[in-house]
Amino acid sequence: MLGEFEYLLITAAAGLGDNAYGAAIREEIEATTGRRCSLGALYTTIDRLETKGLLKTWMGDATPQRGGRAKRMVRVTPKGVRAAKDFYDAVTRVSRGASWVANRTGSTS
Amino acid sequence: MTEVGWSIVEVASQLLERDERETVLGDLAEAGESAWRGLHDVLGLVIRRQAILWKNWRPWLAAFGVSLPGSFFLMGFSLSVSLTFRQIITTKIFEGAGPGFLLLICHAFLLVGWSWSSGFVVGSVARRTLWVSIASCCFPCLFCLARFRVESLSRFCLLLFVLPAIWGVRQGLRITRIKLSLAVVLAVAITVLTIPTWSGRGQPWWSPPALMNWILGWPAWYLLATARRPGRETERS
Repeated sequence: MLGEFEYLLITAAAGLGDNAYGAAIREEIEATTGRRCSLGALYTTIDRLETKGLLKTWMGDATPQRGGRAKRMVRVTPKGVRAAKDFYDAVTRVSRGASWVANRTGSTS
Repeated sequence: MTEVGWSIVEVASQLLERDERETVLGDLAEAGESAWRGLHDVLGLVIRRQAILWKNWRPWLAAFGVSLPGSFFLMGFSLSVSLTFRQIITTKIFEGAGPGFLLLICHAFLLVGWSWSSGFVVGSVARRTLWVSIASCCFPCLFCLARFRVESLSRFCLLLFVLPAIWGVRQGLRITRIKLSLAVVLAVAITVLTIPTWSGRGQPWWSPPALMNWILGWPAWYLLATARRPGRETERS
């Protein structure tokens, strides 16, 4: 089972598609959650997920806006997609009936 | 101030591996981060990387199983070699007095063998935490150098082991494992040389000082256990 941050990272990377790399994923996570995402947490999690076979990474091209430095590109593997879906399903199931869920089962509003 | 700050970030990023350094500095440039946040990010990543490395047994073995105790023992043995040498040149060995030239040769070979094999193990087992192993060696050295009180010898006699140890570390970083034939020769030679060295001083092999020297021999046996075996290399290739 994925951790919360692992799920966020995989989901952000999947959403970015071919443009998924470190800085873009970080920006996406920060924009979505409103929380600061450190590069340390980002890259150690990417490494862990790659070791588990949930992500694949490779060095991409350098761009002038990065001072001529290369990107670390990220792609979610089919195994990563399954793991993220399992996590999402588990969270959805466990959240049924929770008071903060808008259209929960049995809600009278 | 900003330029100075980014120079500090660049220096701190040297603690990362080359590809990761490129990626991280590029990410910081693209995001337009402040130097302070950049430094915070880079140091945070360095600390996490080091913390992950220390979950493994290898850095602990290299720093606290070999480097720290080894430097103490090897300093003692360097001093012993120096004293033996001084005794030989101040007494007339060819008239039968003194510890004997052969014993000095045994000591010298043992010192080089122990130092080289310990250095090799440190270099090959935990290359990414080498700086901790080096610090673990430097602290005892500085401690002993500061308290060295033998007037007839230079305090640098304690450091005879340093050059062969550095040679071993460099080799360990480069080739990781030695050939089986070389490992056998090294382990057997060190073990055989250990026996007359201590029995020659009238001490049984199980006496505490002798045991310390047996302990110094284990890196050579570790190298033998992990040596490159021709058959296995062929199977892998």
